Amino acid sequence: MRALFANRSVRPFLLLVIITLVLGALDRGQGRLFTTGTAYSVLQQFATVGPIALGLGLSMIIREFDLSVGGMLSLSGCIAVLTGADYPVLGVALAVLCGLAWGLFQGGIMVWLRLGSIGVTLGGLLTLGGLAYVVTGNLSISYPRMDVAMAVNHPLLGVLSLRSLVALAAFLIAAFFMARTRVGRDVYATGSDRRAAMVAGVRTSVILPAIFACSGMLAALAGALLSYSLAAASGVALTDALVPATASAIIGGVSLTGGKGTPIGIIGGVLVLGLLNAGLNAIGTPPAVQDVVTGGVLFMVAVADAVDLDPRLLAMRRTWVELFYRRREPSPAE
Amino acid sequence: MTADNSARLAEPGAAPVEPGALRTDGAGASIVGVRQIYKSFGPIAALKDISLDIGPGEIRGICGENGAGKSTLVKILTGVYRPDHGTVLINGVPASLTTPRQAQEHGLAIVAQELSLCPDLSVEDNIWLGSLRVPFLHKRPHLRRRAAETLALLGASHIRLEAPVATLAMGERQLVEIARLMTRDARVLILDEPTATLTDVEIERIFSALVAVKREGRSVLYITHRLAEVYEICDQVTVLRNGELVATSPLNKLSRAALIEQMLGRPSGEMYPEETRARGAPALVVEGLSLPGSVDNFAMNVCRGEILCIAGQIGSGAAEIVAALAGLVHDASGRVTVNGRQLKLGSPTRAARRGIMFVSGDRAAEGVFRRLSVLQNLVATRLREYSILGFLRNRALGAVAGRLAKRVGVDRRRLRARAEDLSGGNQQKLAFGRSIERRNAGVLLMNEPTRGIDVGARAEIYRLMRSFCEDGYALVMASSDLEEIVGLGDVVITLYRGRTVGLYRRSEVSMHRIVADITHPAAAAT
Amino acid sequence: MTDQGLAIAWRGAWRLPLPSSRRGQILVAIRGAALLTLLVIVATTPGFFTAVSLFSLLNTTSFIGCVAVGMTFITLSGNIMSFALSATLSTSGMVFMAALPLGLPAALLAAFAYGAALTGFQGAVIGYFRANPIIVSMAALALITGGATLITQGHGIYPEGNAAAALKGRVLGVPMPLAAFIVTAVAAQIVLSFTRFGRQLYMVGSNWRAALAAGLEPARVVLGAYAAAGLCTALAGILMAARYSSGDLEIGLGFDYSAISAVLVGGTAISGGEGSAIRSLIGAFIIAVCQVLLLLHGFSTQIQYLAIGLIVLFVIMLQTLADTE
Repeated sequence: MRALFANRSVRPFLLLVIITLVLGALDRGQGRLFTTGTAYSVLQQFATVGPIALGLGLSMIIREFDLSVGGMLSLSGCIAVLTGADYPVLGVALAVLCGLAWGLFQGGIMVWLRLGSIGVTLGGLLTLGGLAYVVTGNLSISYPRMDVAMAVNHPLLGVLSLRSLVALAAFLIAAFFMARTRVGRDVYATGSDRRAAMVAGVRTSVILPAIFACSGMLAALAGALLSYSLAAASGVALTDALVPATASAIIGGVSLTGGKGTPIGIIGGVLVLGLLNAGLNAIGTPPAVQDVVTGGVLFMVAVADAVDLDPRLLAMRRTWVELFYRRREPSPAE
Repeated sequence: MTADNSARLAEPGAAPVEPGALRTDGAGASIVGVRQIYKSFGPIAALKDISLDIGPGEIRGICGENGAGKSTLVKILTGVYRPDHGTVLINGVPASLTTPRQAQEHGLAIVAQELSLCPDLSVEDNIWLGSLRVPFLHKRPHLRRRAAETLALLGASHIRLEAPVATLAMGERQLVEIARLMTRDARVLILDEPTATLTDVEIERIFSALVAVKREGRSVLYITHRLAEVYEICDQVTVLRNGELVATSPLNKLSRAALIEQMLGRPSGEMYPEETRARGAPALVVEGLSLPGSVDNFAMNVCRGEILCIAGQIGSGAAEIVAALAGLVHDASGRVTVNGRQLKLGSPTRAARRGIMFVSGDRAAEGVFRRLSVLQNLVATRLREYSILGFLRNRALGAVAGRLAKRVGVDRRRLRARAEDLSGGNQQKLAFGRSIERRNAGVLLMNEPTRGIDVGARAEIYRLMRSFCEDGYALVMASSDLEEIVGLGDVVITLYRGRTVGLYRRSEVSMHRIVADITHPAAAAT
Repeated sequence: MTDQGLAIAWRGAWRLPLPSSRRGQILVAIRGAALLTLLVIVATTPGFFTAVSLFSLLNTTSFIGCVAVGMTFITLSGNIMSFALSATLSTSGMVFMAALPLGLPAALLAAFAYGAALTGFQGAVIGYFRANPIIVSMAALALITGGATLITQGHGIYPEGNAAAALKGRVLGVPMPLAAFIVTAVAAQIVLSFTRFGRQLYMVGSNWRAALAAGLEPARVVLGAYAAAGLCTALAGILMAARYSSGDLEIGLGFDYSAISAVLVGGTAISGGEGSAIRSLIGAFIIAVCQVLLLLHGFSTQIQYLAIGLIVLFVIMLQTLADTE
């Protein structure tokens, strides 16, 4: 079991199956769980969290961490709502452009000043949050185009929507790049061992800003579409996205030590969390249970991936053995 | 250089050959050569007037002690350093190698000790990583075929192309790295101590791969300590000593004794302090120490006032033994007795409490606290003794730090400087300072204590170590530096791939014996 | 006294730990210049010290400051930051309010024990297993928020009676939160500078392997750092709950970010092993002063948020100077 759990490409889907089974058992055949409504809401959540988790996951694959996604989410929503009233596509384009520029800026600073990503993106998060407040004038602003709001959420084939299709497309493009192209290979190389990749000839100082640009763009895309679908935007949304996105990426098999994880795995991770939320909701548990379960899963994964887990377990086992079996062995002093 | 050199070469058994005069095949060309290279770092000359030529299809050994200039030469050939004088010739034409990329373009490629493979990537991806020939959609049948062919040529067709490198053994990884360089059309492969961490079977594999490389008409520059390997694989050997080229000789005309003689030269005696007169009771007794994967059934016994050297190359297990005794290896097993009392391994705190202190050669990683002051570094281990109810007696600690600084020879005016602003030698003195004069004074463990420290500071550290002996400490030192081992060791245990080869008391120690033991124990047995 | 003796006495009296590297000196110069600029602006801004906003801001700053002092322990230990302190703050305020019917001392004890145990547990996982601190704190955030909502059914806690009134008064004319903040910062600084634990914390944050090799127990030190962070956070939670006369899950929202901002602006290194609690105190005050200045010069609240973000970004970029290669 532990071996299966440790296999990163299997883990998200294993969890997906387990959770489906557990939820099914909790449902006791009342049919509240397996409905198109549940599936639709899982995918809507996928549309919001998915791109952020993907961007964050990509930054984790190169052994960095993009804390600024939450700030970009709220800022891009505000930009899209403010500029996209006449041409919704323009709003999204501007938001994504903004994400690109900010990602390049952050990545550039890290390469230029040789700084860690957590510090720089923490500053980025606060700055972006501040910018979101500034452009909205510290108010919640509404989006006048209800038709667009309806369109991005309109169910397609019962379960999909324009939003979730866009998110899915982003994942498929990323999966293609990561699995099939030289660039993807170089990204994994950068995260696996940056020095070795550099020595081998990979241009890691280009990869790093590029990944942060991707992460910024994905967060911006998610934020713009989310604001359209809510027909509103505001500056307050800092941490709400960060925890589920991190949890999704980590459950999806991405490792904080870099070089591991795939976009497909992240899809699995996002679906695990989405299913937990929508499923628990469907069978009538209070929303707080979802927080607890998310936290519990995240905590388990964090411990399972911990650096010193094995030595500690070994030491504990030794102490255990000594406590109970010492008298049977001849004393070593003799 | 001819006259000067041949005069120096009047040593038994050595058949001096002027570099460049000898060709292994009829081509009469030199693929790569250097002429009168000088390189110095500050006042210290690392290379003095080096000239050599390597022909096509030649495997050339480069031998020399630590600090002989081997790595400087390699770095010049790979474009990392630029020589102060002299030229590098590629196919007989002077070439400027100012960046590693340029060196690669000239066909010079290095397999460094620290491999440049990404563990999470597959073998195939690693082979093609960074190659300019890979198209955007990188998974192409012809590239895959080429990778497979290259591995097959190297006799490594058993390595699966899709396996992640993390799952390969060290030797297989080296083959993958060699394969990468071959696919990039490297004409000269430079291997820097490739076998240090390999097993016998793996070494055989590397060797047959090198023969295949040679058969292709490419050349190999093989840098090593291990003489047996030189005889097994190389056509000629060039010996460096103190930055000078001693000789280049074909191996069929050079006896092993002569080669050792060339490498060692005249041992310098003044650097090492006299032996301690008084020996005390046994301080540390180790029996049956085993570390999974590196050391098998090791035993030793060291008394107070004694320096015990565990001599061995990188990967021999010497460093691991010392780390295990310090409690830093979690899966070590064995019976360890300190001052007559049993010690359970696996906890540095427990070891420290029983008087075992560890001084690492890797100062940045596990030696000093670089951001803290000299004072805080010196008193790092004795906070418990100088605190009341958890509060530090800062005045007393300051006095202790001052005394310790004087004891280990660090300028007391620098007590408030940050440790990272000190020289390597002084940082090492801090590590010693924090390890001595503790309540349970007992055993000092050291791993390559003078790594990266210049000659002047070295002598000071050796004197310091001997003075600890006078104070009744038992010292255990893992080292691969021969001079150091012979100069300091009261007892020397030689180690070869995790096993003890020999144990010598001071009177029996000789450099030849140790070299033979740690490089090729079979020769020592005969 | 001779000239030389005077010189030594002078140096001893000041003991200025001027960095010897050039980059370090540039860093000190920039920090000094920034501080000086701020002081000049303060001096030339009319009505700074009489501004009503100054005092209302000082209260908020004090709560954030307590968390920042706690966060300092975590940052110093080399574990960057925690995302769970805000939730710990809110819930320890709730614990305090829930236990208030048992009397003030019992309620204080319960809240402090709760904060220390909860955060200390995270420290144990991070220290003993070396789990990733960011992930552990995010998991803790979700668990605490979810758990607290489940237990309270999402309602705030409004105790009867007035037992917490003592925490709302003034101490020697200083508002209680401000007094508590300053006392906390000073106490934390005493712990950091004068106790064995504090010294060990710097060592662990500076170089984990070296601390291990020197025979310390880094895991235990990290546990201690987190427990200390929990204590400071619980104090902020108690004071806030007392101030609003209720325990509510929302009161600590966003405090993690404000606190780490104060820590970083104060100049504590994000990579650990260097910094102090007093620096975090200064950092918190610098942010507060900037906010007041912006307000007095007619800038809106939203510009203040942006300014804080930019200041943090700038300060982090400066840290490249602190790392010698």
